[in-house]
Amino acid sequence: MIARCLKIIALALTLALSPTGVLAAGSKPEPTVVKDAHYGEVLFYFYQEEYFPAIVRLLAAQKQTQVENHIDESELLLGGLYLSYGHHKRAAEIFEKLLADNVEPEIRNRTWFFLAKIWQQRGYLAEAQTALNNIDKELPKELEAERHMLQAQLHIDNSNHEQAIAELQDWPRRDAWANYAKFNLGVAMVRSGQVNAAAGLLDELGELDPLNEEMSSLRDKANLALGYAYLQDGQPQAAKVPLNRVRLEGPFSNKALLGVGWADAEVNNYQRALVPWMELRNRDLLDSAVQESMLAIPYALAKLDSISQAADHYLNAIEAFYEESHRIDAAIGKIQSGELMNSFIEDRQEKTTGWYWQLEELPDGPESRYLYHLLATHKFQEGLKNFRDLHYLWRNLDDWQRSVDVYRNMLSTREFAYNERLPMVEESLAAADLDGMVQRKLDFDARLKSIEENGDSLALATPHEFELWGEITAIERNPALQANIPEADDVRSKVKLLKGALQWTLDKEFRARLSKIRRNLRQTGEALVETQRSRRQIDEKMRTEPLLFADFNGRVEGLSPQIDLLKARVETAMLKQRGFMEGVAVDELQAQRQRLDTYTVQARFALAAIYDLAASEATVGDASQ
Amino acid sequence: MTLKQSILIAGLAWLAGVMVVHAQDAAPLDADAALGDAQSLEVDEAMARAEFRSLDEDVQSLKKEVLDLNRDLFLLEEELLFPANSQVAFFISMDVGEYFALDSINLKIDGKEVSNYLYTQREVDALVRGGVHRVHMENLKVGEHELVAVFTGEGPHVRDYRRGATINIEKGIGAKYIELEITDRVTKQQPEFVIKEWE
Repeated sequence: MIARCLKIIALALTLALSPTGVLAAGSKPEPTVVKDAHYGEVLFYFYQEEYFPAIVRLLAAQKQTQVENHIDESELLLGGLYLSYGHHKRAAEIFEKLLADNVEPEIRNRTWFFLAKIWQQRGYLAEAQTALNNIDKELPKELEAERHMLQAQLHIDNSNHEQAIAELQDWPRRDAWANYAKFNLGVAMVRSGQVNAAAGLLDELGELDPLNEEMSSLRDKANLALGYAYLQDGQPQAAKVPLNRVRLEGPFSNKALLGVGWADAEVNNYQRALVPWMELRNRDLLDSAVQESMLAIPYALAKLDSISQAADHYLNAIEAFYEESHRIDAAIGKIQSGELMNSFIEDRQEKTTGWYWQLEELPDGPESRYLYHLLATHKFQEGLKNFRDLHYLWRNLDDWQRSVDVYRNMLSTREFAYNERLPMVEESLAAADLDGMVQRKLDFDARLKSIEENGDSLALATPHEFELWGEITAIERNPALQANIPEADDVRSKVKLLKGALQWTLDKEFRARLSKIRRNLRQTGEALVETQRSRRQIDEKMRTEPLLFADFNGRVEGLSPQIDLLKARVETAMLKQRGFMEGVAVDELQAQRQRLDTYTVQARFALAAIYDLAASEATVGDASQ
Repeated sequence: MTLKQSILIAGLAWLAGVMVVHAQDAAPLDADAALGDAQSLEVDEAMARAEFRSLDEDVQSLKKEVLDLNRDLFLLEEELLFPANSQVAFFISMDVGEYFALDSINLKIDGKEVSNYLYTQREVDALVRGGVHRVHMENLKVGEHELVAVFTGEGPHVRDYRRGATINIEKGIGAKYIELEITDRVTKQQPEFVIKEWE
């Protein structure tokens, strides 16, 4: 039993956390032994990752005691289903109850780990920490490193950088996570002001030989982080080394090119600084590094006394910023009109999203280009999941609302039909004298008993035999036959013979007829008992049917307002969630807009300074003439 | 603030904004935070987290209530449409499924077609892994009824396969569950279709 429970919970956890389902490629599924049909039905939905209907069916089956052969497994499965569905609070309640002491430590610890992970992603930091604290043994190798990483992340979320550093320092393993740990440690050190200590770590990462795109990206990130840390620390020459290691076409190249330029500018080598900045000029203006380069270029040109060119570049920058700001305003308007959030639920998804669901691509639209990096944040993804889940709940309740109306009509029709037929049924029942029939059966029993005791074979004669017997006895009683003449003797002896023959037949058949009649009587008795039972059932039905109607009506009338109430609450929650998500998106765009405004002000200010300088030079020139 | 200062602050803000990277969700560089400083970023983050959590708690509570309500509605629907006295449920199950890939099932009760179900690959996979599909529910009177099930799919040697199975059901008082099981008969390397009452 325990083994089976463990299998189910492991399965539930794997399903909950694997976007591709349970099975690794090429592995063979191991079927579950199902002893209750309804439990198997829950699995049918579970295996298809349709968690909502699976949970509903399991809750219903549990209430109806239809999963008696899987009591323990079904509760664990329910926990796993809740977890997969993203209902982490109920999942935790079940696991807390079930995982207390009767489950293997490995499964228990693994469960706590997954709960901690979900909670961290959803911002339940204290709960996540408690769950991590509940892990009392080392997790399997592939999870142990992730656990430490999660712990470090929690420290960072709680602004405990020193503890994050302590967690990440002396990373014990040389595994796939070691480089990430190193990076995080380096960043945490930079953030706590330990630039020199971080430099060694980031430098090491910045020189690693990447095996794949993920490692190349990490390498770029490390180099960028180190480069900016050096710049911040006033070491421009040192900054150039890591910044130059960033790939020229990678996602971090813009920022690196900008940094390289600033490193040169820091040592007043503006000529060299212009080289990476000019490269940036042709790139996507959406990137803040590109925007910054549009100010950095005229700044360097001014330093190189190319005042006229610098003024042109500032004017270009102001123009470009203005257009971009305008586009951002339009995008903000579109988000605030609700179009963005509506596009996330346009597909009317038939299934629940599940915990691992992620939006891979933003819907088409002018605002999308500004929101791509939001996709990578838990806040956005988890918020979107909740929004879609709420929409699913709303549609579910909407469907039920319509169904309940149908059931209400159905019930009323049934009740009407019942009440219409009831008088006819009552009339028929009254006409059927069941008690009289029973009495007649009892009379028959008594009569048969008397016949048997008296050996009254004539009582069992057929109508024909009875008629013959009557004729014979009538002839016997004929006075003419009493005459003392030879003819009368002859007739008397013939009558006697006939009577004897008939009597003989009756006696011979007596037992058989008696048995047959007794059998018929027994069957009649059985039929009467069955009829009495049916009658009791009808009486019971007539007694309970109004109660049943009342019960159904009560349930329908009780559930219907609950649906309405919940639907209204879901709508309110959707509005709030929509507002939150739109707020996140608008904040993102407004930050970009504000940055452009700042750059515009700086460009205008610099341009004014150039004009002032030019004007004062002209005045000096005029004066000298 | 000079231009140079603002650019350098952007660098610091980037460092502050860099989250711990996980292997599975390596994110593109957060290049937006040019106007914040590390401290305000963390405060904003904490506020957003608190707001998210408050909304999430609402959603959690609603999920629980809607699920519980769904359970009650599901039971009401079943009791209303298929009262226990007349209810007969037909379940499809699969054991192994090496010799038969299920496409569809057709059910006839007392000569009348009551269900014709076409399976998706996802559903077949769920059956193979031990799931049981309630393919049909019916109200039947007390007494004897004939069930004919026709299974269509792909049999051994990738050939179209169509087989029927028949059973007489004795419907008494109380719900009845009928299992239509597809198993592998290893000795003959053929599928086998068995209809039985669920014990």
